[in-house]
Amino acid sequence: MRFDTRNILNQLIILLLIGAIILAGQRVGYGAPVAGAIPGMLIIVAIAMFSIIIKELLPKIKFPAFAWASLIGLVLTMPFMPTAEPLLRYVKAVNYMAITTPILAFAGISVGNKISEFKRLSWRIVVISFVVFTGTFFGSAIVAHIVLKLQGII
Amino acid sequence: MSDQKNEARLVEWRGRTSIFARLFLSVLLIVIITELIGTKTVDVRIAKIVLLPMLFAVVIATLITPDVLGKSITILRKVINKDEIALAGPLVALSLLPLAVRGGTLVGPAIGRVVQAGPALLLQELGNLGTIFIGLPVAIWLGFKREAVGATVSICREPTLGIISERYGIGSPEGTGALGTYLVGTVLGTVFFSILGSVALASRLHPYALAMACGVGSASMMTTSAGALAAAVPEMKDTILAYAATSNMLTGISGVYAEVFLALPLVNFLYDKISSRKRGKR
Repeated sequence: MRFDTRNILNQLIILLLIGAIILAGQRVGYGAPVAGAIPGMLIIVAIAMFSIIIKELLPKIKFPAFAWASLIGLVLTMPFMPTAEPLLRYVKAVNYMAITTPILAFAGISVGNKISEFKRLSWRIVVISFVVFTGTFFGSAIVAHIVLKLQGII
Repeated sequence: MSDQKNEARLVEWRGRTSIFARLFLSVLLIVIITELIGTKTVDVRIAKIVLLPMLFAVVIATLITPDVLGKSITILRKVINKDEIALAGPLVALSLLPLAVRGGTLVGPAIGRVVQAGPALLLQELGNLGTIFIGLPVAIWLGFKREAVGATVSICREPTLGIISERYGIGSPEGTGALGTYLVGTVLGTVFFSILGSVALASRLHPYALAMACGVGSASMMTTSAGALAAAVPEMKDTILAYAATSNMLTGISGVYAEVFLALPLVNFLYDKISSRKRGKR
């Protein structure tokens, strides 16, 4: 299994650039000082890189880097973990919503060559989405209703 | 494997610095503009529609591409063209990673509550799979091909985009489908769920069960649906909001795993079943 160091390095540079955009965005949108959020952002980028590397090293496990990243963030901030307090102190300076804005900007640009495909999906994707939303909602509600009944809670 | 090699070539910045500069500066500009606009709330009689900066961002970003405004504005076409669009794809997957990390740090501190939440909360997560059995046939019936897999695997919030773009690429048919459901959810999700939350009582399912169903993995959808439900059954308000928030948190944790190990294999299995039966008929 070859380990593409150059590719990893390129992704690190990109993550740092994205981190800078997020910090600029939350400075404008939420008045959050840039300097105060830099340590938190570096921690986030480090965990993100770590999850990319884990995924590279364990290609047999079909576990996406996204899932590794959220799992590592979760485990390190569980109340009984010694890492929780210092990590949260820094990471809290990075606004969750501010992270979403550049993602959607990239997403918008990336669909630029698929405008005709989206036109083809047209109203049908709206219908399908509403069916999906309704299915998810009632699927959960029916299971919850049965289990709560069995437990005698309702 | 060729996909991965292709992606490695795309994120190579040496010799491509001008493409990188144009894309990153455009995104920086879009982010600054949309954060300046900020969050807007539109009061429609039945619900409050919340417009977040990310919604403006996706609209502006789509508008500046060559097939839309770039068609008539030459300078836009010079800034954002097919190289920049190609690079934006893998960057979606990369920029989702910080969100995953930050999301994990939101759930970690509350892990105790999650463990206490009980079997009903855990098992109802499986109910989310129910959508595949209804959504996929409808999508195929409406003429979708592989897009149907992405569009109906789940309600397609950020984790789904991360998983689908890693597995198939955001430019694939599956990616297009997932992005479609994602965008509809972003634009119309809060409105739809606030209506769903208030009319769902007609199903005669218990409000507690409905409360757990409100936690679909999106904070805004959960807030509006649980808010509407609580307003309809005010005497159960506290329990409804608690169950909804816990369920939403659980979906945030288990959603990724359920999707990778259950939903995605299931939707692919059903897709093959349905499309091979269709071929057999012809």
